[in-house]
Amino acid sequence: MSKLRVVHYINQFFANIGGEEKADYQPELREGVVGPGMAFNQNFGEEAEIVATVICGDSYFNENVDSATATVLDMIKSQKPDLVICGPAFNAGRYGVACGTVAAAVKKEGIPVITGMYKENPGADMFKKEVYIISTKNSAAGMRDAVSKMAPLALKVAKGEAIGASAEEGYLPNGIRKNFFEKKRGSERAVEMLVKKLNDKEFVTEYEMPSFDRVAPGEAIKDMSKAKIALVTSGGIVPKGNPDHIESSSASKYGQYDIEGVTDLTAETYETAHGGYDPVYANEDADRVLPVDIITEMIKEGKIGSLHKYYYATVGNGTAVANAKRFATEIGQKLVDDHVDAVILTST
Amino acid sequence: MYRIITNNPMCLVKYGDQVQIEYLEGKGYMDVLLTVRDYIQKKWCLETHPMTGSLKPNQTPYKSVMISDRPVDKEEFYNQEITIENGIMTCRKFQSIRKTPDWPENLLEDFQAVDLSLIEGAIQKIL
Amino acid sequence: MKLELGIIPINDIQFGAESKVENGTIYVNADELKALILEDETLKSVELDIARPGESVRIMPVKDVIEPRVKVNGEGAMFPGMISKVAPVGSGRTNVLRGSAVVTTGKIVGFQEGIIDMTGEGSKYTPFSKLNNLVVICEPVDGLAKHAHEKAVRMAGLKAADYIGKLAKDIEAKEVETYETVSVKEGIEKWPNLPRVAYVLMLQSQGLMHDTYVYGVDAKQSLSTIIMPTEIMDGAIVSGNCVSACDKNTTYHHLNNPVIKDLFAQHGKTLNFVGVIITNENVYLADKMRSSDWSAKLCEWLGLDGAIVSQEGFGNPDTDLIMNCKKIEGKGVKTVIITDEYAGRDGASQSLADADAAANAVVTGGNANEVIHLPKMDKVIGYPEVADIIAGGFDGSLQADGSIVAELQVITGATNEMGFNPLSAR
Repeated sequence: MSKLRVVHYINQFFANIGGEEKADYQPELREGVVGPGMAFNQNFGEEAEIVATVICGDSYFNENVDSATATVLDMIKSQKPDLVICGPAFNAGRYGVACGTVAAAVKKEGIPVITGMYKENPGADMFKKEVYIISTKNSAAGMRDAVSKMAPLALKVAKGEAIGASAEEGYLPNGIRKNFFEKKRGSERAVEMLVKKLNDKEFVTEYEMPSFDRVAPGEAIKDMSKAKIALVTSGGIVPKGNPDHIESSSASKYGQYDIEGVTDLTAETYETAHGGYDPVYANEDADRVLPVDIITEMIKEGKIGSLHKYYYATVGNGTAVANAKRFATEIGQKLVDDHVDAVILTST
Repeated sequence: MYRIITNNPMCLVKYGDQVQIEYLEGKGYMDVLLTVRDYIQKKWCLETHPMTGSLKPNQTPYKSVMISDRPVDKEEFYNQEITIENGIMTCRKFQSIRKTPDWPENLLEDFQAVDLSLIEGAIQKIL
Repeated sequence: MKLELGIIPINDIQFGAESKVENGTIYVNADELKALILEDETLKSVELDIARPGESVRIMPVKDVIEPRVKVNGEGAMFPGMISKVAPVGSGRTNVLRGSAVVTTGKIVGFQEGIIDMTGEGSKYTPFSKLNNLVVICEPVDGLAKHAHEKAVRMAGLKAADYIGKLAKDIEAKEVETYETVSVKEGIEKWPNLPRVAYVLMLQSQGLMHDTYVYGVDAKQSLSTIIMPTEIMDGAIVSGNCVSACDKNTTYHHLNNPVIKDLFAQHGKTLNFVGVIITNENVYLADKMRSSDWSAKLCEWLGLDGAIVSQEGFGNPDTDLIMNCKKIEGKGVKTVIITDEYAGRDGASQSLADADAAANAVVTGGNANEVIHLPKMDKVIGYPEVADIIAGGFDGSLQADGSIVAELQVITGATNEMGFNPLSAR
């Protein structure tokens, strides 16, 4: 059987082109292995071989995400790979995001792919549910260890073999629970975990509790007919043309838009920037997500005092919790400063 | 004042004249949970856990829950709201795996008997 | 309190003219044992069968599994308050027929579950596939009420286990395991520098087919209390739980409680195992509050540094588990909990019906919704029609070749929440 064809994605640093000063390096396709690809080839043995390497500077990639992704993806596809490996990126943040972005794009094409990075790399949280990310050490000193875990998982993914639980294969937990047999029974694991906990040593829980933010409900509004209401949405409703370029997923920003005098959102004036759901109905009539028309009616009927002149919008699709919290804090403060009494928060 | 929300006919027959019962005739497990949630959001108090018993929500068609009009503080309201929402979420999860089968009559009676026994422990405390 | 367990390894069970234990084999005079069980007038008939490891046999629906044991000396007898008089057990010497079990099967309700496969894929998930099992199949008299039926099958199992256990009273043990719990005062003096640890054992106690008995007392009628670990080894806790096969604690699990055993293994080395707190899982929310308040209070009063909490069953016990964990942690006692998961067939759903940030140290027995493929067996002991109910039911389906594709939850003991198995999930 011939060897599986592998394409490797790395950044300018691992390609020995340069450090930060070369981070604007534009995508380049090279034949054969470059840098850490050697280690992968050794690990693959007779089963697979890196036929080409795609190199891109981290700054260039992150500042031109859409075009860089498209270019890199084209370069990768031109090699007709059976498997793609991105990184590992260790704790390099922009490299991690690039590896995750490329891997996710490759996966969408139906090409087997994995990447690797440190668990605290921002790219890890962004992409661990989309692609297999091998958990690596936090610096390139962990290269040998990373390759020894990435290569076997990559081959399994490429061959379509059954993938074990995260603890067995070494990938970051991706929210999919999978059974496997531990070496020790549960009670013994519990005693060991307790002894570690008692001695203030690090222990790893086998199930991470979902954490819910607890928000105390506000006081009820006594008289709505005098209240100033604001609209805030994570449903991505933006003025036509999306002037702030809010991303269709993993939004990094929100927009503030003046709707003074607007009584109805129309297909000509507003649209949604939100990906991940069928936008037809939102684009046809954005009031379906941001109910400006109904509020206007209710104001006329005297049921509601007034509508705040600005509304705020972002996209809730895969947006990092940390970003969402930051948006909320900033928007909340602005609403307080503008003496808004209540907010209607809508999603998709 | 206590009230039982149930779709279990056996519960109605046995306790109908001793306790207030809101009998959801012909309705499902989920309908009982949703009705209970409405009550909680109107400041009623959850007295028994909505996920009583180890029978799965796509296994037994019956559910009986006891509520009361005892006043609840904010903390209790929050906990009860979370408990019923978790119950509804769990029920939805199991229904999405597989719907509750159309059990034959003899099995339905068995499910009624088990559900009755679970709520009976609580009813006995208030009679 | 000190108990010696005399271990008698069992390699086989056979029917014979004389009931006896000889060279690692249990011989059972079937007529004699049947007659003993049928003294219960609520039973119409009893059948006995044997299932050995590796045989192409499926037992279903399994109600309870019980390890045969006998008190050789010391106060009381096995299963006090159930089939022997109430007396404090847990000291002296008890012989254990290790490698054997009595398995009861009986259709108390039509939808009864619980499969033990002695070979194939399913056998990997149940600890009982490794045992020589004497299966007791009970038929009740016509029209017997469900509560009485459950009790009759429960008692039949205990009687059979007691009958077999007594055959080994004078057999010399191959090895002896010793377990001792000292007084609070003595423990502090003996191990002043070791962290004090207790085990909080949650018992299913909700109603018909969901009950547990402690010295014969229905656990739902009791407040959280303290029990010696060795009392549990002598059958002070008996299962009356027949629902949610994968995560119910059978009487066998209680007798061989793995948390107790593994805490004893570290006792005097890395920790001081102080004792066991039992608490219940009632349906009434006020009971849940009261019981968890009480177990936390006992943890505090015992001056604990750490605790392990184990769970039983599906659904609302998640709430008891989280309440116990939160309140015990709230007393400054470091806590590890053991549970199992219902994360959906694809593993993508939220696993538990309750959650709290205090539960930061969790051991899992696996995802009970995960699907496994059970091959056809040559022989079914019990009630084969149960397969049709599983097949037409909510958690499995029958294939053309007679095999069953089912969720792990149908297998007895598969995702045990005492941590009996190596199975886990991530």
